[in-house]
Amino acid sequence: MPLRIVLAKIGLDGHDRGIKVVARALRDAGMHVIYAGLWQTPEAVVRTVLDEDADWLGLSLLSGAHMTLVPKLVALLRSAGLDHVRVLVGGIIPEADVAKLHAAGVAKVFGPGTPLDEIVTYLNQPGEAHHV
Amino acid sequence: MSEWFARFEQHDRQALSRILSFIAQGKHPPELIDFLAKPSDQPVRVIAFTGSGGVGKSSLVGQLLELARREGKKVAILACDPESPISGGALLGDRFRMNAGADDGVFIRSLAAASGQGALAEHLELMIGALRRFGFDLIFLETVGAGQSDVAVRVLADVVVLLVQPEAGDDLQWEKAGVFEVADVIVVHKADLPGAEKTAAQVRASLDLSKQSQVLVFRVSSYKREGLGDLWQHLLNKPPRSGSQGLYHKMRGQLETFVRNRLQALWRQPDTEFQALLESWRRSDLPDERILRKVLVRLAGRSE
Repeated sequence: MPLRIVLAKIGLDGHDRGIKVVARALRDAGMHVIYAGLWQTPEAVVRTVLDEDADWLGLSLLSGAHMTLVPKLVALLRSAGLDHVRVLVGGIIPEADVAKLHAAGVAKVFGPGTPLDEIVTYLNQPGEAHHV
Repeated sequence: MSEWFARFEQHDRQALSRILSFIAQGKHPPELIDFLAKPSDQPVRVIAFTGSGGVGKSSLVGQLLELARREGKKVAILACDPESPISGGALLGDRFRMNAGADDGVFIRSLAAASGQGALAEHLELMIGALRRFGFDLIFLETVGAGQSDVAVRVLADVVVLLVQPEAGDDLQWEKAGVFEVADVIVVHKADLPGAEKTAAQVRASLDLSKQSQVLVFRVSSYKREGLGDLWQHLLNKPPRSGSQGLYHKMRGQLETFVRNRLQALWRQPDTEFQALLESWRRSDLPDERILRKVLVRLAGRSE
């Protein structure tokens, strides 16, 4: 079965160009992309991941709210019993925050200019198979 | 899998989600079929939404979802989008238009329909069974933006809603055979646009010609939130399709599924008597009615 990934933007950030480009690249790489779109709350995103039984969650933030919203979301994921879901973050993330996001439980941060192939290769690496 | 069944019985949402994944992946061991076959007295209404891509199926479902929640009804949505014939990938974007938030009374699963398989993902009948058992009051089934001949949805739903939009074709368009004939309700969507009234009149005229006068035509604008209340009341109160044709199709669809699933179970655990029965059905050496009766009796687990 193709890998299932939820892509979402949390908070009031209205810039969805980047996440749509990533969505297209993952689709073309044979993945099933569940596009949750703009203006999602952390609670709604966790619910989406749960209902969609996704393997991965990709978050895009360009608003600077990542240190407020992402750790909260990861904690909500864990408390919903979704420990197996791995979280990617993309967007404008200052270097100093990358380690903090990793410490909060984010698997990988992809900054601006990341080649799309790099994201696809990361998701397809051995050991990243579906949990079922 | 059995641990998930136990959690499902405890009304664990993650168990429902995982069982839907098993179904989607074609993992249907006999214990799953038996689990889903357990009787449920939960009355549930399955409403299907079909129509061309871009006509507004997801948006309309999103609007009706709000009305359903206002009445406290629990709603599950199975939303199909197409899978790429080239990469096998899919962009499943229907839930984006259904603002469900983190509402416990709403469950949305996005499904990819393989290319060439028509407008629906596979194994929907089993998914509907799982959602029914979980206790939803309503199941909305959204097809892939479908063509003119995608009629399979009929066997799965109690009510089929076909969406069309203004200026979608001249009056000859409505005379063509196919999806138009299986609709129970027709929505002229985007009715805030010019031409909606004319399109509705053409659709009405065509339906009356083909003796489908019981099919109502609604003009609805999800954008302006107009016409939704009347449509909603009709969808809730319309008796499930009971014309001989509709009932026959529905029963045949369910029977085919049931027989197929039982067969899958039997291949693991041979039942020679049943297999001989199906073999004689295949050879047509007895009338269909006679065989069907035997098959039904056999499936019901009683000797004739």
